[in-house]
Amino acid sequence: MNSTGVQLRSVEKNFGAVKVIKGVDMDVQRGKFAVFVGPSGCGKSTLLRMIAGLEETSGGSIHIGDRDVTDADPADRGVAMVFQSYALYPHLTVFENMAFSLRLAKRPKAEVKQKVQEAAAILQLTDHLDKKPSHLSGGQRQRVAIGRAIVRAPEVFLFDEPLSNLDAELRVQMRLELARLHQKLGATMIYVTHDQVEAMTLADTIFVLQGGHVQQSGAPLDLYDDPSNRFVAGFIGSPSMNFVEATVEAVTPTGITAQLTGQPDARFDIALTTPPATGTPITLGMRPEHLTITEGTGLRVTVDVAEELGGVSYQHGTLASGEPMIFQQTGARHGMHGTVQTVLPDAQRIFVFDAEGDRIR
Amino acid sequence: MPPVHPLDRPEREAEMSHSNRRNRELRAAALLVAPFVFVFAVFFLYPTYKVVALSFTDAPLIGEGTWVGLENYAKLLGDRLFYTSLWNNFYFVLLTVIPTTVIALMIALSVSKLKGRMQALVLTLFFLPYVLPVSVVTMIWAWMLDFQFGILQPLIAAVTGKAVPVFKNPHWVMPMIAVVTVWWTNGFNVLLLIAGLRNIPEDLYEAAALDGATPWQRFWRVTWPLLWPIISLVLTLQLILQLKLFDQVYLLSNGGPFNQSYVVLMQMYREAFQLNHGGYASAIAMVLFLVIVIVSVLQFQLLRIGGRK
Repeated sequence: MNSTGVQLRSVEKNFGAVKVIKGVDMDVQRGKFAVFVGPSGCGKSTLLRMIAGLEETSGGSIHIGDRDVTDADPADRGVAMVFQSYALYPHLTVFENMAFSLRLAKRPKAEVKQKVQEAAAILQLTDHLDKKPSHLSGGQRQRVAIGRAIVRAPEVFLFDEPLSNLDAELRVQMRLELARLHQKLGATMIYVTHDQVEAMTLADTIFVLQGGHVQQSGAPLDLYDDPSNRFVAGFIGSPSMNFVEATVEAVTPTGITAQLTGQPDARFDIALTTPPATGTPITLGMRPEHLTITEGTGLRVTVDVAEELGGVSYQHGTLASGEPMIFQQTGARHGMHGTVQTVLPDAQRIFVFDAEGDRIR
Repeated sequence: MPPVHPLDRPEREAEMSHSNRRNRELRAAALLVAPFVFVFAVFFLYPTYKVVALSFTDAPLIGEGTWVGLENYAKLLGDRLFYTSLWNNFYFVLLTVIPTTVIALMIALSVSKLKGRMQALVLTLFFLPYVLPVSVVTMIWAWMLDFQFGILQPLIAAVTGKAVPVFKNPHWVMPMIAVVTVWWTNGFNVLLLIAGLRNIPEDLYEAAALDGATPWQRFWRVTWPLLWPIISLVLTLQLILQLKLFDQVYLLSNGGPFNQSYVVLMQMYREAFQLNHGGYASAIAMVLFLVIVIVSVLQFQLLRIGGRK
């Protein structure tokens, strides 16, 4: 059997004259958990619905396993989908909701019962099989929706922002359950979310989408450690990366010396293999967790809001030039609100981007 | 004035203002409800009471009668014309209620497939007849079905072999009045069903499609059960409306031929306003009222049980 679970080749989608998906290539390995992440309107849900067959594909091809399913009916693709709204049939019991596809396929009663019982056991729904969806809590409904997918034993599970209707606590819990479920079932899963924490915690592979393109794909920590452009750098990581304008002051044998715009005493030596010419305007990216407080020179941040979370705190402030800056503190309570702090980035972990937002390595 | 304990006062004031506020709210509520209660009492409750009272007297249309007890009802039970009328009423219900609901459902299902302005336009076209007054409706159909000049007569001739004076033919009269009625009132049912269809979330159909449901299965397993409350509402409203049949019969056939379209309200009208039998007409009205209540409650209960299954 083909080792590729889902394969997309120059897939396009137009709504009338509007291009929503502009040539997407991707490979999701069999048994892997892939996450599409991006801001709203980036086309991630559309792409998922195209894989499901709920939206027609305007160009390119979609393969599941070794079958070309580009023009196949949703039911013939071997996919099951969990909707954001759960899409449970309100007039049917939990049992009948989960048995729906088997009933349509006219499977024998014993088989229906066995499969539904199995799925219910996995999802701890055995006590709720006779209830209507309206008598269930949000988390339970979510589980029924997943159970409906499990019963069909699909090749690929598709999740369209399945946790966004749950409260924060339940979301964390369901996230863990989904991760365990993936380990248990070993099926290919594709998951759409706008929440990068969900993406980071669940994914084997993250596809960052924006403007109808895949901006970057890879393992979560690869995207975190080595973003290929400014968008991905800003999107992955929480709180998001700080960006400051700078110019190349000098090219050194190992890289460049960057001078921050409007900060005469802030210059950093950054190692680059392909340094831009002296005088090129660049953007420096620094993660809040890589900024440390220093007694000496550095970036002077006027802290106006401090988010104290107990273990860590995020200090929000501005530089003298007016650019926003966030840095992270761990441990002690600092009471930095209203003060001016000097922070210094870890020079190894400064990312350099050109004017177009592409990474300079 | 005795000295007031300083702590007492605010409490008592709070209590006072609380009861003041309740009084104010009650007054406002009474004021707002009063116009409706007045109109309801004068134009509905009082006439209803008079009808009930009249049905136990031998009163003419205008003026007082004498108390005759249940005599009117006893007479009604022996009145063969009443049974004919009642039978015609049920025949008419049979001809209209389920057919109009089925037609409205089919129209609603097709209209709901249309998008945006096109949908609004088509819906308006179907709703237009409902806006017309009954006299206009009957005139249009009387013209179209005119024995000599009606544009529908060639169609009838094509089926039966000859032109038919439909409102003077005992076999044709009730079905044709039913056709006119369905054409006239169907738009409202379409509207109710469209609203019901719009309430069914789109992703249920998507989930069903992924589960492998054919369009036919999607209708019977998703649309039909979720639309059932609206369908049973339409059926019940139609039942009540069609049992009260009068205008179309009065204007199209006047109860004839051979009493084939004579219905209960027709009889009531004739007894009251042509034969001056106010008491007897009231008794007919009372019996029709009871029939409607019993039949519609019965139907609604049956439909509810059917829906739960």
